[in-house]
Amino acid sequence: MAKDIIKVKNLEVWFSVRRGFVESLTSKVQLYVKAVDGITFDIKEREIFCLVGESGCGKTTTGKAILRLVEPTGGSVKYGGGGLTPAMMKDAAMRTVSKKFLSKAEAEADLAANRVDVRRISKDKMKMLRQRMQMIFQDPYESLNPKQSIYDIVAEPLVVNSLGKNEADRERRVIKALEDAGLRPPKDFMWRYPHEVSGGQRQRVGIAGALVLEPQFLVADEPVSMLDVSIRSEILKLMLDLRDNKGLTYLFITHDLGVAYVFSDRIGIMYLGKIVELGPTEEVIKGPRHPYTKALISVVPKPDPRMKTDKIILKGERPDPAHIPPGCRFHPRCPSAMEICSQKEPEPMYVSQEHWVSCWLEAGEAKK
Amino acid sequence: MLLEVEDLKTYFKTQEGTLKAVDGISFKLDKGQAMGLAGESGCGKTTAALSIMKLLPANGFIAGGSINFMGQDMAKVTGDRLRAIRWRDISIIFQGAMNALNPVKRVGDQITEPILLHEKVDEAVAMKRVKELFELVGINPNRVREYPHEFSGGMRQRVMIAMALACRPKLVLCDEPTTALDVMIQAQILQLLKNLQQELDLAMIIISHDLSVLAETCDQLAIMYAGKIVERSTAIGVFSNPQHPYTKGLIAAFPNIKGERKMPASIAGNPPNLIHAPPGCRFNPRCYAAQDICKAEEPPLIEVLPGHFAACHFVKGMR
Repeated sequence: MAKDIIKVKNLEVWFSVRRGFVESLTSKVQLYVKAVDGITFDIKEREIFCLVGESGCGKTTTGKAILRLVEPTGGSVKYGGGGLTPAMMKDAAMRTVSKKFLSKAEAEADLAANRVDVRRISKDKMKMLRQRMQMIFQDPYESLNPKQSIYDIVAEPLVVNSLGKNEADRERRVIKALEDAGLRPPKDFMWRYPHEVSGGQRQRVGIAGALVLEPQFLVADEPVSMLDVSIRSEILKLMLDLRDNKGLTYLFITHDLGVAYVFSDRIGIMYLGKIVELGPTEEVIKGPRHPYTKALISVVPKPDPRMKTDKIILKGERPDPAHIPPGCRFHPRCPSAMEICSQKEPEPMYVSQEHWVSCWLEAGEAKK
Repeated sequence: MLLEVEDLKTYFKTQEGTLKAVDGISFKLDKGQAMGLAGESGCGKTTAALSIMKLLPANGFIAGGSINFMGQDMAKVTGDRLRAIRWRDISIIFQGAMNALNPVKRVGDQITEPILLHEKVDEAVAMKRVKELFELVGINPNRVREYPHEFSGGMRQRVMIAMALACRPKLVLCDEPTTALDVMIQAQILQLLKNLQQELDLAMIIISHDLSVLAETCDQLAIMYAGKIVERSTAIGVFSNPQHPYTKGLIAAFPNIKGERKMPASIAGNPPNLIHAPPGCRFNPRCYAAQDICKAEEPPLIEVLPGHFAACHFVKGMR
């Protein structure tokens, strides 16, 4: 059994809604946009875990919160991969205990399991830890600085983290990263600028920028959605190769169920800040249990006009995450909502060993 | 025949030379028909649509061919006559429509603008039409006085569709109508477009890089590569019996959620530079079946099956 490299527990990211001066005087309740509202999952070593959902469901915020690119407001994220120094472990454990976030026993359990709580680690240690946890961004057209050469873009993480003994060592690392990202021969690409290479190659530059720090865990935020369909699978194959050869683990964020289906090992369906269904990819796609998952799968366009399927098209759009509906947050749009759905929030219920769903339809007592 | 495009060539003048974005494409479109134009980015599909609307940027020009729309050659029409046709008979739904609306003008006023320009009606009549249009595309008619920022992405796209339909056009060009939208909203918009097409007997050209979107909405399908149409047939014909290696590659590149779980194939390489297009068949540097003849001679678009055309040296013509 592979060990868990990431353990996310009750992760919350709330953003406070800014109020005007007068509004704050009239002492209205502070509103929060609950972008991520208590989600729990773990990612095993060498696994591709995929978060799927509509835009605004909190999937990107989750990815960023795991790397602490946005500060989580609640819950914990534990990292148990390689590259942890004893000092880092101790620092994290001491802080959690001293601040009473965890009991001493729990902190010691973490220490024994070689895990650190990403949320409780100090800023400078976080910088070191982030060398092991990197992110690939969505838009290769916007995320690369047009005034930097590809060499400078890929070398920047090394400079920021003061890694590499000298320029020659840095160059060696950059060449290796470019080669690993499939930009071969690296010398042909190094001194070019982003506008001189194609979209697929640009995304490879983004991947090289993440690889240069030799990470263990990558958050890939829609890495192929801006690319032409004809080159998407090349990038996906590259990511698979990297997993096989370097033992990488991915959190893959996408809105495209088709890509998630062919690429990921396990899949979590997110709706309005919560995971509503989670399980092995094949099981979730072929046998969805949550009405939202069913609807999402039914509307994926099929690349064949002979395949006419019944679509479950949900009415309206997702509610505002500052005003989350009571009970099950999906009930206002759910085609099979019952009375209980608007009153009580369903707990995760396991339908097979690794597949759970949060829906009252699955609860025996809810069925009348 | 509503629209007949014959050997259309649209070029751009650039510093490095003439860019042949559209290089001799022909197709026909009947009243009430929906045609899909598919291809990778930079293959000239948007340029083809802009040529029909005569909305080319300053350095673009129609270098040859004809666009016969309702008895007149759009390639030659200019000035007031062109303005009279534009938006009244042909309208367009732009790519990234969410950003195509004027942010400081109420949506209702933005839609009445073309109605007031093209028809001799007063504002009250025009506003009444806008409310009907809103109803048609599924927006609450009371929202005509709101500003674009008050609408969500999907709703803004509906506003754009209402705007395109304002003067009851015969032909609507849709440039990537759902690309920036979520799957659920995409499904809503595609269903709306299909319903409108049937209800209003509209002719539509839908441009997309996403073959699966076109598979769901179009009767006819044309696959473009590097400024040329390489295959053209009914949507079912193209998907059930693709002839051109590029079409086969494109279809194989789609993950099919209903099918087997396997990584889709990709097409190696990049589309060519259209200033110096490769000689012979333009697809030959990326083609798995390329032979010497492909580098030397350009294959013509021939009829392979009734109504099914392909441009490849290795397909057999009907006779």
